[in-house]
Amino acid sequence: MLELTTIIPLIAGITTMFVSVRLGRRILVLTALLHLFMTALGWFGKISPAFPQYFSVTNEGMLILLVTSFVFLCISVYAVSYMSETEISSEPIYIGCTLLFLSTMTMVALADHLIVLWIGIEATTLMSAPLIFLHRSKTALEATWKYVMICSVGIALALLGCFFVVMSMDLSGIHVPITFSALGEVADKLDPVWLKAGFIFLVIGYGTKMGLAPMHTWLPDAHSEAPSPASALLSGALLNCAFLGVFRGHQLLYQAGLGDFSSNILIGFGLFSMLIAAIFIFYQTGYKRMLAYSSIENMGIIAFGIGIGGIATYGAMLHLIHHSLIKSSLFLSAGNILLGYGSKLVDKTGNMAKLFPKTFTTFFAGFAGISGFPPFGIFISELLIIMGAFQQGRNISVSIFIFALILIFAGASRLVTKMCFASCDNAEILVKENWARTLPSFALLAVSLILCVWLPDSIYQTIISAIATIGGSV
Amino acid sequence: MIQLSSAFFSVNHLSDALMSLTILSVLLSLGSNRLMALVKIMAFQGIVVSLTPLFLEHHESMNFASIILLQIMLVIKGMLIPGLMYAAVKKVKIQREVEPIIGYHASLFAGLIFILLGAFIAHRLSISLPIENDLLLVTAVTTLSAGLFLLMSRRKAITQVIGYLMMENGIYLMGTALAKETHTMYVVEFGVLLDLLVGVMIMGIILHNINASYDDVDTALLGQLKDN
Repeated sequence: MLELTTIIPLIAGITTMFVSVRLGRRILVLTALLHLFMTALGWFGKISPAFPQYFSVTNEGMLILLVTSFVFLCISVYAVSYMSETEISSEPIYIGCTLLFLSTMTMVALADHLIVLWIGIEATTLMSAPLIFLHRSKTALEATWKYVMICSVGIALALLGCFFVVMSMDLSGIHVPITFSALGEVADKLDPVWLKAGFIFLVIGYGTKMGLAPMHTWLPDAHSEAPSPASALLSGALLNCAFLGVFRGHQLLYQAGLGDFSSNILIGFGLFSMLIAAIFIFYQTGYKRMLAYSSIENMGIIAFGIGIGGIATYGAMLHLIHHSLIKSSLFLSAGNILLGYGSKLVDKTGNMAKLFPKTFTTFFAGFAGISGFPPFGIFISELLIIMGAFQQGRNISVSIFIFALILIFAGASRLVTKMCFASCDNAEILVKENWARTLPSFALLAVSLILCVWLPDSIYQTIISAIATIGGSV
Repeated sequence: MIQLSSAFFSVNHLSDALMSLTILSVLLSLGSNRLMALVKIMAFQGIVVSLTPLFLEHHESMNFASIILLQIMLVIKGMLIPGLMYAAVKKVKIQREVEPIIGYHASLFAGLIFILLGAFIAHRLSISLPIENDLLLVTAVTTLSAGLFLLMSRRKAITQVIGYLMMENGIYLMGTALAKETHTMYVVEFGVLLDLLVGVMIMGIILHNINASYDDVDTALLGQLKDN
């Protein structure tokens, strides 16, 4: 009954909308704990799906589910303290929708049926829209409208892609259930033209949600306008779920012997996203927008790594894990900074090293981590991707890749050093930092650090089996 | 005469009639500038599109579950969603699309081009596809592209939602044209419909808020977030 991981947050989410805020907060943290426990049970194979025609346990799905569940737990602990500090009138909506959001993301991670995956991804858009609108400002309104419209239209195109994949099956006269596992087994018999067309629409559709350029335009607005715990969830959990849709499509094409076609598309989108992020990060004035562009960059890196193949796919999966951990930690720190200075602009902040020592530590360490410095995991994952690309002889692509990485580091470090060390004129601290709002960030960073030096064998094996389906190996 | 009338009422002709009505509704919506008229056109189109599977030859063997689903779809696409839009339009002060990004004559002309495009694509595909109803594919492509066009060429948020709905109708028609009945799983189709309904509800809530904060639903007003 692995579907309970979807059903429990669903019920809890609906319940919390009707109970008092204090009780709601407890339910939030308890549900997060229970979800992690259930996920762990599923991870070790103790429970399996009860509806195999719709859901299945896959290696990549479980990996993303585990990351999502852990990140969600840390964020919900943070959110309890954050919400009591900001006193948002619609807190029950936050708690309820964040739980419903978890439920839909779990559905995506477990989905095996093409259309169920689509339903799940569209539902994540709908359930996270109220989270972005939480502050009810005009800018939040604009961000929500863009988010809902762009993502809904994008995902509608993905539905068309699903129909094309079904078409490729009908044309070759095969009758199997339209699940990824069943289609994978007969992949080589599917009609290649329609399969390719389907993949293009799937990438455009789910790529919109994942934040691949040029469909990324909603992402910086949504991430900067949402309250920080919600931004952390969007960046650390939602983007992975959308990536899963793209990954499944690539998997199907690889099994059909069209891996080269889909790889090149992924590499193209990946590099383009990185370049766009590099250009826009340079002139950023808001730190949350900067983090959002960094998410676009990292999604580009993952798409690039998956497209390259070989050892780079292993790097891409590692990158996915570490990006979720570090980026959500960064957004949580950004929440503390926003509470402290009361502004999203870099110019209004400064001297964090002295004013907010704990937040400074997590923010700066997170920045070092996301830029690819050891001892954090992104160092290894980027190195593996670069090595993989050289092995495949993709010299031009990898040059662009490294160039974009350098540009992004240069652009972001300018802002981060300003925030951390430059003197601050209005040294008035609105809300002091506390342990409840810094410990989750520390925990996320610590896990990234630990996973960098010691990767448990079961995670290693899961990644290896996941990438084996797209021709990757170590 | 009797033969002619029985031929007229044959299943295929009825589906052709429905397709023509859909294309007509697409052209009407491209040329219309009153928001209320657009909502009514959408309701009409929703009903026509929902009824289409009833009159398709390869869908003739309908069972109990598919009839139920058809009714649910009729209620959602023909009544609930237009009802929500109707309620949203009622509250808005300015009932007309004042300055569309692309004018009405140009839009209508674009609509005609979409029909040609649809016919071209359908012709190319019908060589490789075992589809007996060409017109269905033409309509699907036209509706889909006109929906996208409406979404991009209008500034009122309500018109954009209508464009999205039209696009969704086009995709649904495409699905009925391409996929065989054997794949249909009613739970899954219901899920898609539910997503659509909740989506329109959420868009309605945002619309309401845009209207409350700006006293208009013009998306040109939403332009504060920029990369500087």
